[in-house]
Order: sequence, then structure tokens, then C-alpha cells
Amino acid sequence: MVTYDSSGSAAPEAPRSGFLARTLFNTGHKVIGLRYLWLALGSVLLGMLLSLLMRIHLVWPGAQIPFLSGFGSTPERYAALTMFHGSLMVFLVLTTAPQAGFGNYFLPLQIGAREMAFPALNLFSFWATVASLVGMTAAFFVHPNAGFTLWSASVALFCLAALLTALNFTVTTLDLRAKGMTLPRMPLTAWAWFINAILSLLIFSILLAACVFLLSDRLLGSQFFSSLTFLSRLPPPLAQSTLLSLWQRLFWFFAQAEVYVAMLPCFGIVSHLLSIFSRRPVWAERAAVLALCGVGLFGFCVWGQHMFSSGLNPWSPLVFSLLASSLGLPACVLLFSWFGTLWNAKIHLNTAMLFALGFVSLFLAGGVSGLFLARNDLATASVSDEFVTGHFHLVMGVAATFAILGALFFWFPKMFARRLDETLGKFHFWLTFAGVYCVFMPMHWLGLMVHSRIPGGDLPAAVPPGASLRTFVTFATILTVAAQALFLLNFVWSLWRGEKTEDRNPWRAATLEWSVPSPPPTDNFGACDPMVYRGAYEFSASGVATDFAPQNVAPPPLERASQWKQAAEASAKES
Amino acid sequence: MPGSTIVEDIELIIEDIGGGGGKNPPPGGDDGDEGGKRRGPHVPSSRRYATAIVIAIVSIVMFFMAMASAFIYTRANSNRWVPLHLPWFIWVNTAILLLSSVTMELSRQRLALADVRKFRQLWFAATALGVLFLIGQLVAWRQFVLAGFYVSTNQASSFFYIFTGLHGLHLLGGICALLYVSFRRFEKAKVSRSVAAEVASYYWHFMDGLWIFLLALLYLGK
Repeated sequence: MVTYDSSGSAAPEAPRSGFLARTLFNTGHKVIGLRYLWLALGSVLLGMLLSLLMRIHLVWPGAQIPFLSGFGSTPERYAALTMFHGSLMVFLVLTTAPQAGFGNYFLPLQIGAREMAFPALNLFSFWATVASLVGMTAAFFVHPNAGFTLWSASVALFCLAALLTALNFTVTTLDLRAKGMTLPRMPLTAWAWFINAILSLLIFSILLAACVFLLSDRLLGSQFFSSLTFLSRLPPPLAQSTLLSLWQRLFWFFAQAEVYVAMLPCFGIVSHLLSIFSRRPVWAERAAVLALCGVGLFGFCVWGQHMFSSGLNPWSPLVFSLLASSLGLPACVLLFSWFGTLWNAKIHLNTAMLFALGFVSLFLAGGVSGLFLARNDLATASVSDEFVTGHFHLVMGVAATFAILGALFFWFPKMFARRLDETLGKFHFWLTFAGVYCVFMPMHWLGLMVHSRIPGGDLPAAVPPGASLRTFVTFATILTVAAQALFLLNFVWSLWRGEKTEDRNPWRAATLEWSVPSPPPTDNFGACDPMVYRGAYEFSASGVATDFAPQNVAPPPLERASQWKQAAEASAKES
Repeated sequence: MPGSTIVEDIELIIEDIGGGGGKNPPPGGDDGDEGGKRRGPHVPSSRRYATAIVIAIVSIVMFFMAMASAFIYTRANSNRWVPLHLPWFIWVNTAILLLSSVTMELSRQRLALADVRKFRQLWFAATALGVLFLIGQLVAWRQFVLAGFYVSTNQASSFFYIFTGLHGLHLLGGICALLYVSFRRFEKAKVSRSVAAEVASYYWHFMDGLWIFLLALLYLGK
């Protein structure tokens, strides 16, 4: 009875005519989600090239690269390069791809809605994001002073877009779920998008306020962060560090939580993939949901951790250190849930699963170095050096990228009705996996080496410590970036020539998006609304063809009782 | 109807969390109570507008809290703080804004009695009072400028202009919403007049409370 007739004979909406309505002003959530993904793909490629340029200038300052050498040759240009790389990666890749990209496409499908709650608002958010990308790019090319004003305005615009997207996600999840889709039945991906939307609502308002202050200082001459504010009372070296204290507070309040904004959807995606490809329910699903909430809650409270080096009340480092360490708790719960899911499972090692496992590895490695930084005595020593750079690239940048790639391999058949090539994908995975460890692990060592040097020690001053290690990192970066060509090749080739999937559910997953044809029709579910009867991860361990129960399939009424009895017996047997 | 939407929302969430877990019996088609609220977009439910405005208010609160914390932080740490003398006209404005909120509630009472004509008059009066408040804020700015305080004069004046300015900007959005409720023909609209009026009134009262908060901050922290 819950079969979705996709023939379109009963489709209630006639396709809207008009070129503009179909292209620029298309409010369909799948169209917008896909466009966010394209935007993120373009930004990540650009950001990677920038990092390559940075590494080359770091190791060979005199290198003359045709066309590009002007971008990193002076200190100002190098700073602009770093800033552009960071803005692109954090805002337009890590914030945009997992949440706005995959979220827009799959949240309504997974909760059984036909559209986001406010499609027009969604469209506005998308174009505001595009405008902010254009603004940030332009800011890179103009004079530093004007460039910084333009950059602040672009970030403010991005904040507005992120806020509206988050509003849309929250309302969609609260009010547009299908019948029977209670909160505990939501897939963990939908949970993660929901919690992340709430966190985004809170923290992007703070960055927006900071940007408004900054713009007002630069354009109207107001005195929020003015250099005269704090100077006269304090001795000069202290004044220098207190100078931007207010900005730092506002900024880190946002930026520390922003890490979790990037990571939360990835946690959801990875739990989802691990469960599906080990054909087992998510182990301790409720605890995992609570852990996701915990990440959001603690992540909101650890902003002070970044202020260790810039002067705080002596007691507050202790508090923030405790808070930052307490983030380990939900992280451990998530790790236990992942390992519990994998335990004794028949794991299908396809590329999507490899990327999910890669995420777990990177998250673990990066998380361990995070424990060092949560300690207030160590963090003072190692702020803004290569240890920190290595840490956050590993745990935030690369791990999140692995989750995004895993999600792409997983959902590609649904979005384009073709598969990505598995062989190329596995090659790409192993090269990237080895590459990122070669890039970011030596960075940790470099940071430790710089600080373990005895003051006035006997290291020759002419050779900076770890020069050969730096060169190694640069070579590893070049190779890792080059390996991404494999992915691009795979992506473009599979879009046009990839193996077609006739099956609407090639991975045998239980969530609602796999119950509709690929790619999904405009109104998602055809004539009748979907109905949900069970949780999202009902896999049995038997391994036969029907080892899973789709959420939308009703158990036959007579067999329900016997099914429950069987399930109870099975669980009794297991224990 | 959506009169107690937020409470219902919370109840629904709690019910959801406590209720049907993955292994519990499926609800089948017997959840008639929720069925009315959860319809496809072909028959859009109006609940989403009330939810959205509540969530938007939370976000705006965070925005102004960041600003208020910056104010308190600067006030505590700056050695160049020059006390602020609020222009007296601002108190008149406050009275006008409060009056506008009261008028709006009276008008919604009329709507509940299905007295649309009276509702429109009172609603329009509330909107006009809102516009009056904005004009009054400009007068207050003028007074402040005549007293020699510009945006860049000192920290306190910077905060005064940014608080009043941003509140005014948000209020302008509220006025647009009120005008929408006044002039929209609700016969064919997706939302009913009472829902639109209610959602607009949440925002309007919030603007009222926000203004009181900002004023208290400026006055006590001067």
C-alpha cells in the first residue's frame, strides 16, 4: 500500500514554465542543494591551489611561478593569501557542503517532506552565499585596506545566509516531518543537520554582530575596536595583546563553535555510512544522538580556550580547560558507537565506507593532539604555530572533507542515477589518506621542535629547525593535491559515462530517500505522502537479500506480533 | 488553533522523544491529532510560520546579546569612557512603542471576536504608532547630534547609535510585516489573517521588549 507511483500521471503540479524560474530562480531544494555542492567543489579546488602556492612560497621564497608569483611575494600578499584560503575552506567548503549542500538535498527526502519550509528564503540564502564568495574573491585582488572592508561585508552577508539556511532547516525538521517520523526515528544524518542548524543560529548571529561592529568602525568611524581604547592604561607589551581583546572574544566565540558546525553533519554522515555498510544498526543510537547534542552544547562553551595567550582572569583558563576537555566525552561516545557498530560486522569495504573509516582515523588522530591544546599550560606555548595548524587541519579540514567525499560516493547514485567508479575511487582514497598524514603529522613535530629548543641553544641560526621536514611537507602537499586529479577525473567521467543504476536502492539502505526513483522527482514522493513505521537502521545481521527493513514499509498487521516475539527471542539469544 | 503553538511544539517534541522509539509499535494511520498539522506542501500548514518566528527571535536575541556583552566588556575595561546623557525624547518614544503593543493586543482581541473592521482600525493605529516611534528615534538622534555627540565622538555614543540604529532596522522589518497584515487579502492566501496577525504580534512585542532591554542597558551602563 505504500508504493509510490512514480509514473507522474497523478503528479499534482505542472512543471513551471519560464527559463528564469527553472534556472536562476529555481526554489527546488534538490536544485539548490546541488548548486551548493558545485559551489563548494569550485571553492575547494581554488582553496587547495592557494594552499599549494603558500607551501611553495614558504619553502622556496624566491620561487618565480608564472602568473602566480605576485600573489604571495610580499608579507601583505602572503597574509591575504592565507586569509583567502581560510575563508574559502571554512565558509564555502566546510560550512556549506555538508550542511547546505547535502542537507538541502537530503533532509526533506529523509524526513518525508516535499520541500523545505521556506523555499524562497532558501533561494535567497543561496544567492547571498554566491555574492559573499564573489566579495571574498574580489577582496583578495584589491588594495588591502579596501579589501578588508569588502571581506568583512562579505562575511556579514555569509552570516546572514547561514542564519536563514539554519532557520529553514530547523523549521523543516520540526514541522514538516512525514506521518510517523517521530524524532527517534529520524536518521542520524537528519539529527545532525537539525542540531547543527540550531548551533548555527546561535553562533552566526555573534559573528554577524562582530562584523557589524567592524564595518561600523571602518565606515562610520565608531570606536568599538579602536586602537586608542585600551592603550593608555596598560604597559605597551600588554597593551599590544589586549588591543584586540574584544574582537578576539567575539570572534573566537564564533570560531571555536564553527569547528563543530563543520563537524556535526560529518558525524551524522559517518554514523549513517558505518551502519549501512556494516549492515548493522547504529550501536547505542540514543547515546549517539545525545552525544551529537553534547557536541553542540560543549562546543558552544569553549571559546575561552583560544584566549589563553591573550590575557584572562586567572581562574577562567582552568574553567575553559575543563570545558574543552569535557568535549572528549561526547566524542568518546561517538567513537564507541562507531566501533560498536563495526564490531563483528560483515563490512562492505567500498569507497564510501573507506572514506567513513578514514574519517574515524583522522578524527582520532586529530583529537589526540587536541587534548594537548585543551591544557592551558601547553596551549600558551603552542598557540598559532605549526602544531595548531596541523591539529585543526587534520581534525576539521581533512576529516570533514573525508566525510563529504564519503557522502558523495554514497549519494551519487541517488543524485545522478550513476555510480562513481570504485577502482579509481579506491586509488584516490589511499593516495589522499597517505598524503594528508604525510602533510599534517610532520607539522605536529615541527611545532613541538620549535618549542622544545633550549633558549640560547646550540642550533645553528642560519638553518631554521626542521627545514628538511618543511620541504618534505611541501612535496607531500604537491602530491596530495595532484592526487585529487583522480577524483576530478572520476567525478566528471562518472557524471556522463558512469555505470547506470536502475535500482532505486543500490546500497540497500532503509531511509526514505532510497524509496523514490533516482534522481528523485520534483515533488519527491509522487502522489501520496510517505508514512513511516520504524527507525532508520533496522538491519538484521543475517546477510540475506532482505536484511533490512525500509522505514516506509508497513509490517503486515497479522505478523507484527510474531515479529516482535521473534525479535525479543533473538535479542534474548544474543545476550 | 495556533494560539498556544510554542507550548504545543514543546509538548510534541517531548512526546516524540518519550514516545515511539524505533522498536515501538508503528503508529499506523491513527495519529489523527497530528495528522491535521502535518500535511504536505500542497496544503501547507501554517504552524511553520509561528515556529519560524520563535526561532528567528532566538537568533536575534543572540545577535543583540553579543552586542550587549561587547558594551559591558568595553564599559568595564575602558579608561576613556565618557558617561552618556540620553536625549530626553527617547523616553517619549518608549511610551509610544509600549502604547503600540497595547493597541495591537486590543486589535487582536477584536479579531478574535470576528470584528474585522475594528481590527483593521486598531491594527493600523498600532502600525502608525510604530512609524511614529521610528520618526521619534530620528528626532532623538537629532537631539544627540545637536548636543555634540556623533558616532565617532566616544565609545558610549558609538554604542548609542549602533543600538538604536540596529533596533530601528529590525523594527522597520516589523512595520513591513504589520503593513502586510493590513493590506493583504486573506481570502486566497495560504495563511489565515489570525495566524499572520499572531506571528507579526510575536515579533512586534519582542521588538518592544528588546527596546526596553537596550534602553535599560544604555541608561544603567552610562
